[in-house]
Amino acid sequence: MIICPNCQHKEMSGAIYCSECGAQLIDMTIATHRINTSETRQEAQRDSSRIQPPPPAHLQSRISLNMIESGQILPLADRTEFTLGRSAKDQPIVPDVDLSPLNAYANGVSRLHAVLKFIQDQIVIMDLDSSNGTYLNGSRLPPFVDTLVAHGDVIHLGKLKIQLLIE
Amino acid sequence: MTKKQDFYSLLGLLRDACAEDIRQAYFEAARRFHPDKNTSPGDTEFFLGIQEAYEVLSNPKKRVKYNSTLSPEKPADILLDQRVLFSRQSLIHLAEPQLIYVLMEFSHPANIPAPLAPSLNLCLVLDSSTSMQGVNMDVVKATAIQIMRKMKPQDIFSVVAFSDRAEEIIPAGHSTELKKMEARIHMLQPSGGTEIFSGLEMAYNEIIRNVYHAQVNHIILLTDGRTYGDEDKCILLAHRASEQGVGISGLGIGSEWNDNFLDDLASCTGGSSMYVSRPQDIQKTLLEKFTRLGSAYAEETRLDFKIPEGIELHYAFRLQPEAGVLSFESPMMLGPIVREASLRVLMEFVVQPHPVQQKTVTLLDGKISISLTDELTPTRPIPVRLIRPIADEASTDIPSAEIVEALLRLKLYRLQEQARLEVTAGEYDQASEHLHRLATHLLSQGERDLARTVLLEAEHIQQNKSFSQQGRKEIKYGTRALLTSGRSTEEP
Repeated sequence: MIICPNCQHKEMSGAIYCSECGAQLIDMTIATHRINTSETRQEAQRDSSRIQPPPPAHLQSRISLNMIESGQILPLADRTEFTLGRSAKDQPIVPDVDLSPLNAYANGVSRLHAVLKFIQDQIVIMDLDSSNGTYLNGSRLPPFVDTLVAHGDVIHLGKLKIQLLIE
Repeated sequence: MTKKQDFYSLLGLLRDACAEDIRQAYFEAARRFHPDKNTSPGDTEFFLGIQEAYEVLSNPKKRVKYNSTLSPEKPADILLDQRVLFSRQSLIHLAEPQLIYVLMEFSHPANIPAPLAPSLNLCLVLDSSTSMQGVNMDVVKATAIQIMRKMKPQDIFSVVAFSDRAEEIIPAGHSTELKKMEARIHMLQPSGGTEIFSGLEMAYNEIIRNVYHAQVNHIILLTDGRTYGDEDKCILLAHRASEQGVGISGLGIGSEWNDNFLDDLASCTGGSSMYVSRPQDIQKTLLEKFTRLGSAYAEETRLDFKIPEGIELHYAFRLQPEAGVLSFESPMMLGPIVREASLRVLMEFVVQPHPVQQKTVTLLDGKISISLTDELTPTRPIPVRLIRPIADEASTDIPSAEIVEALLRLKLYRLQEQARLEVTAGEYDQASEHLHRLATHLLSQGERDLARTVLLEAEHIQQNKSFSQQGRKEIKYGTRALLTSGRSTEEP
């Protein structure tokens, strides 16, 4: 038996997605590491003094969100997709990562603002057409386009600043 | 009938047919092509050929002699490319039930030249009840005429209209007097109620007169309403049609028709069910369907199977070329194999605990039958056996990316199905919860419009304790369309 890490629903052994909430239940780690040239290029452009050398972003690697304003660190685990946003009264959708306690509304965070995804051995962010936009290291991302992120990148959801920590 | 046919293919028989089969096939063919009855040029010659074939094959001595002159039979398995993927390499000995997914793919082999467009035997069944009045009827008429004009000389076409009763608008035949036929379609006036069975039965009778293998036999039903009380009769008729190699597809227009019924009708014949919300889309959808019918390499792929004890076929779904639920019982009608895209079927099996000494588990044992659209000779069924080893320890392999990808898309459709079941069972909170989850997944995939529809529907369920007619269709066919469209081209 498998217990869904997202909703604790019990699934039969061999299930690939949770029938209750749709979360992926298997680890799609792929043994080979693909070298992505755009990653390397981005790396070169980035201010190298800012952060330690980033390890390759593996699926098992843990990702944490460093809320720069409050200094709070939010670890993310056990899923391959995380929607970021805020919950609101009378609003049915609750994002995987609810930023409401961090004054998300005042910072202009949309209810479903962006999504962080593991695609094979990479981590990408996609803006969900939020009202105030998602920024990666200062440049605004087009909606619904996956953009590669790396350790140390700073993401703005509206005015809310989050640094990605990938271990 | 340009190809030189041997006697067996003339009668549509396999080489090892018994005397009774030969007799049956002869009577069937003779009845159809008898000079008193036949209409098209060449039929009389064909009839004479049948006579000759029967004379030889019904005489054991002549038959043996004739057989020795034939070139060896083409093996059936080269006519079909098959691929089977399992979600895991082996099962595990467990004290509880476990799941395994199987993706089966059938396609036109690359080394076999693509056949010419097959002959069609097509019947359009048009709902002409009062509710069709206006734009719907006008578009339907225009599209019917457009399809008629696209018919090849050898194709057979018929049109049936129905309301409270059925009316033969264009009897089955070759399109000869186009002008006259067009006028008959134009004259169609909507009135009365919706009794699908009467229309379907007449269509069946039209199409059955010209049913022959080596052509595409298909009924397309267009309706905007709900039929009352005759659903079961329709399904029975559909089973009969399917036995004769006739597929039935349905196109529902607007929000009032019964989608479950049309899905059932399609799934028991290997056809497809389609939905359009606006009259403007009728034409595009129908013409697409027509094009797909015309690109069939094999018609009416059929899987006859047995499921051993301790195994349950929990779910079966056709992902491609047209997404749709399949029957979970044998025979499973998989529909046509088209030239452009393979036929892909996903199955979910539940495996009950097996004795520890057992080393392998058979999930399904069956055979696939296809009927090629350019070949009169029937093809021998191809055996299909799905077997997995069963081990003591879990294997650490990763399921194939294709299965995971397919399930990723299918899970959205299934969340929707689950919500429907829950509404039926009166579990409104769960249903709305599942719809919310569906909406979240849709949003993260960039499907904003559909996500919004889903959320509105969740609200509707909370307030009215039921789906809205339109919402339930938008969501069902919307999530289904995601299965075939926007195929991502991710690298392996």
